[in-house]
Amino acid sequence: MSETAIVESPRLLPGLIAGRKAAIALDHVSKWYGEVVAVSDVSFGVSPGVTALLGPNGAGKSTLLKLMAGLLSASSGTISILGQPARGDTNAYRRLGLVPEQEYIYPYLTGREFVRLNALLQRLSDPDAATARAIHLVEMETAADRKLGGYSKGMRQRIKVAAALVHDPDVLLMDEPLNGTDPVQRAGLITLIRALGDAGKTVLVSSHVLVEVERFAENILVIVNGKLAAAGDYRAIREKIDTHPHAVSIRASDPRRLAAALLVEPTTRSIRFERDERIVAETSDVRTFYRIIPALARQANIRLHEIQPADESLTSVFAYLVER
Amino acid sequence: MTGELFWRPFPILALTVRQFLGGKAIRVVVALSLIPCAFAGIYLLNRDVATAEEFLFDAIFLNLMAPTLLPILVLILATAALGNEVEDRTLPYLTLKPISRLRIVLEKLAGILVVVIPAVSAGLALTYLLVVGSDLGQSTRLLWSMLAASALGAIASASIFLAVSLIIPRALLTGIIYTFVWESLLGRFLPGVRVVSVRHYTQSIFVQLFDEPSVTIANVTSLRASILTVLGIVIVSVAVATWRLRRMNLE
Repeated sequence: MSETAIVESPRLLPGLIAGRKAAIALDHVSKWYGEVVAVSDVSFGVSPGVTALLGPNGAGKSTLLKLMAGLLSASSGTISILGQPARGDTNAYRRLGLVPEQEYIYPYLTGREFVRLNALLQRLSDPDAATARAIHLVEMETAADRKLGGYSKGMRQRIKVAAALVHDPDVLLMDEPLNGTDPVQRAGLITLIRALGDAGKTVLVSSHVLVEVERFAENILVIVNGKLAAAGDYRAIREKIDTHPHAVSIRASDPRRLAAALLVEPTTRSIRFERDERIVAETSDVRTFYRIIPALARQANIRLHEIQPADESLTSVFAYLVER
Repeated sequence: MTGELFWRPFPILALTVRQFLGGKAIRVVVALSLIPCAFAGIYLLNRDVATAEEFLFDAIFLNLMAPTLLPILVLILATAALGNEVEDRTLPYLTLKPISRLRIVLEKLAGILVVVIPAVSAGLALTYLLVVGSDLGQSTRLLWSMLAASALGAIASASIFLAVSLIIPRALLTGIIYTFVWESLLGRFLPGVRVVSVRHYTQSIFVQLFDEPSVTIANVTSLRASILTVLGIVIVSVAVATWRLRRMNLE
């Protein structure tokens, strides 16, 4: 990657670490459709390496990726990719790849033909070698000569990744690439995403699954309701998420005694009784809380039937981040 | 047709042809192209209504192919060529590449013509053979005039419908209404509409190429003016399609 193309941001954009340069920079970007605001005044920078764009469904992740790829024009604000405006210059696509979210791809082409089409449109000098290399990267050699119409969702995801990687781009935008993949396919793609980041590529991966993200990204950008809710180091944000009040539902043989034991613990904020021997405890430190429950139950000779998060949907976690 | 010869220099053209050959549209196009043959069969049952030549230029070309069949055939493919890519959200695979929007439009246009012109030509040639089969010694000027005029008409219609498909969401329906109301119905009765329809120039090109004094249409336009008009239609339509492709938001 040529260093000259990566712009020194005039100010430190959210998501950027001091001293690092932005391969992708969004400055006060908004996108609205009539009265509906899809993206609202978002500014962030993305440096080389893997960054996750995290948020619940409908938060505006896909819109942001399309804005960055130049598929959509921003209603206001500026977007630059490797120092160039995101929309207008088709030559910029030599260094940019996009894995779109939609599943449909030309069903009448084979996987190899589809990847090769992308290689030909990139005007690569040896499209066949580039196609073979990209198919190898996503481990799709055995299915490459089958029609795309017969591919499973996970296979389509992988062949889309191959098509986006065929020209070895410096910047790769991936819209929910792990959706529909089985555990083996997911592990393979995560390894590939990490390898691309380690090789100095700028990889931005959207996801709505919090626990998935920690497997490939060090930096995360959290988007909720079209706004940037948090940006930066994964662990720091995860800590914020972990320390926000979580509700845990517990079903036990003697809920009253268990509640009394839990209330002594400093991590417990409140407890309410539900039906069917169930209590819901609110805690400020969910990880510690989960660790102490079995010990407390054992000491008090209480049998635990079930422990599960009562509110740990991503939406509530993200909503919490927005409120801060 | 979609072999290496096409793929390497013209990948979008090759993709478009594959798209047509792999879908339902091609079956409809082939079936519609053979309609003149069905008319020829009916004519052969009763040859007294017209001479073979009259039947071919009047019933088949001037009244069936130019005003209705040709625009419908072109419409089916032209609205699918880019319209389906928009609808299926596959257009980013073409637009997120270091190639000009003009090239995308031109290759898509060529893809339509590579399929529609042979289909129309085959239908017309077969009809011609059915009707004059027993008299092959006759001049083939009528056939070549029909083929050349329909090819130029197809080029003009395809470029218009390709541009329209990027502007109007229900381009196929709009095109069908346009063909039946404007080209077929109003074009016959209103002189003003006549000269601003592709049908008029397709018919004029045919009349001028056939060059038979007894065969003409109202307000016939010269060959040169007709060809220049077709060229003008193509340039404007391609420019509009390219501009639209550059400006449009792809969801």
